[in-house]
Amino acid sequence: MAARLFIDSAHFIHSKGFFWKMRGWASILLSGLLLSGWSVGEVRAGDSDSSELRQIRREIQKIKADEDRQRQFDENLIGELEHKVEALEDKNRQIQKTSEKLQTQSSQQFQELHKQISAGPSPSEFARTFRDYLGTHQFTLAGAVAGDFIYDRQTATNTFALDFEPIVLYRVNDWLLFEGTIEANLPAGGSAEFTLPVATAQIFLNDHMVVQAGIFDQPFGDWYEDQSPFWVNRFVTAPLPYGAEALVPPTDLGVQLRGGAQWGLLGQDFDYTMWVSNGPSFVDEPQPVVGQAVNEVNTIKINTNGQGYGARARFYPLPLDSGLGRLELGVSTLNGKWLDRNWYNSWGIDFAYLRGPLQARGEYLQAYRHMPNSNADNRQGWFIQIGYFLNQVQVPFAHERVENFIHRLEPLIRYSGVNQRAIVQDEIETVPETGFSGSPSIWTPHPREVAFGLDYWLAPSIVWQNEFDLELPEAGGRTFSFNGNPTPTSMPRGATPNDFAFLSQLAIGF
Amino acid sequence: MRRIIVILMTALTLTSIYQTCWADEISQSERRHLFREGAKLWPVYCAQCHNARPGSEFAPYQWDAIIMHMRTQANLPAQNARAILEFLKASH
Repeated sequence: MAARLFIDSAHFIHSKGFFWKMRGWASILLSGLLLSGWSVGEVRAGDSDSSELRQIRREIQKIKADEDRQRQFDENLIGELEHKVEALEDKNRQIQKTSEKLQTQSSQQFQELHKQISAGPSPSEFARTFRDYLGTHQFTLAGAVAGDFIYDRQTATNTFALDFEPIVLYRVNDWLLFEGTIEANLPAGGSAEFTLPVATAQIFLNDHMVVQAGIFDQPFGDWYEDQSPFWVNRFVTAPLPYGAEALVPPTDLGVQLRGGAQWGLLGQDFDYTMWVSNGPSFVDEPQPVVGQAVNEVNTIKINTNGQGYGARARFYPLPLDSGLGRLELGVSTLNGKWLDRNWYNSWGIDFAYLRGPLQARGEYLQAYRHMPNSNADNRQGWFIQIGYFLNQVQVPFAHERVENFIHRLEPLIRYSGVNQRAIVQDEIETVPETGFSGSPSIWTPHPREVAFGLDYWLAPSIVWQNEFDLELPEAGGRTFSFNGNPTPTSMPRGATPNDFAFLSQLAIGF
Repeated sequence: MRRIIVILMTALTLTSIYQTCWADEISQSERRHLFREGAKLWPVYCAQCHNARPGSEFAPYQWDAIIMHMRTQANLPAQNARAILEFLKASH
């Protein structure tokens, strides 16, 4: 029985894998107990068998309980580890999401930057940067240069001439501008001759008022201010009232108040100019006589001369959208004492009309000079000119080059004249210069000139101008001659021979 | 003489105040309006005396000075001068 129990117990223990799970000392103890039980069983087989069996069963129960606790412990541990793994996996997923988001953002930003770099800075940004780079003291250089060939039949002159007129503009801010024009020309038999026809400060008080102070082009009529630059004047020469025998001084030194306003629809404007200046003066040495030339500028007013006061108003009646072109109607006056108690008065009217390729302009002006010892010195002058740009003319069957050549042409015609009572022989200057043929027929009391022009425009401000002048002076008037004496000799001016001249000029406005 | 100096000083002071107010930036719609007007004015106002010169001939900062010069020289209304300036500068 004991042997059988031992075999069953051993078999039970081995069948459950006991020895693999229990610790070493417990296995040895149990084996010892079984062996001792078997040996004792031989002695006390009856009573002791059941108690030992219970003992063994208790041990087995205990072992089972230990096993359950251990399993429970392991399962808890596994559960905790699984939670930790899940938490780590969540965290990893979040990191991956964040990483993907950052990658997307980086990619978008990179693309935007790439686009910005490819597109370059905007014009306003570039302008701001460039302005910063240049600094606040910025000068602008404009102006014109002209090279002439001049031929006059009466004086048998043919010569080249050159004139250079840069305009320097210094814009301080939105309401202050400085302007200077330096004129350099090459007189006969000398090196360059420099003059300063314009040097002004312009203060923009508001939208309708500008103060201009300094030496300026005379704002009388349209000629000196607006038409005198080489490339702006459609002809090489000036019309007679603004040329050699000018009726009003070309420049003056003083202060102007001027401005313009739109009074109606777009294009319907009005403008005004008022000025106080040193006024007109005349070449009145050794004594004043009728017909003396106006000084080009009265830089320093002598005590015997009064101030000059001038005003000009211009009116533009046609709206831009009317399709009728642009018409300017103007009136001007300049007055002042040129000598003690002796007045100089002048006034003029002018017009200008532009419609497509057609442009026309004209002026009439007259001057009165009170003389101290003779009758008044009255003068009148006028001119009218018309030009037509051939850029819109269709030329049938013409080669493209021929058509292109014709489209750059502008034929012109101008008629001008001056009336005055006398001319001073000592002032006659027949040496040609830029814009002046030197024809003696201009120096008469009643010069008349018909000028034909043909301009070839290489660019909007580069023009090759060709002018053929017919000088057709009328008889009449007198000639005064001092010839070194304090009193002049006077003789009637008879018929004066006609003349013609040819001038060719390359004018570049820059 | 003293009166002239006082008048000039007053005018200069008023000018500074006025110009400070006037120098505000203009809006995009105003800019577009100016451009459209400038495109109409440029070929007529400029060509009345000389051929209209393209905006590409001068830098924008140079046009600032040139249009100021032309506003004085031709007595251009200020608003029209601004429109022509906007048109010329936009050519760049």
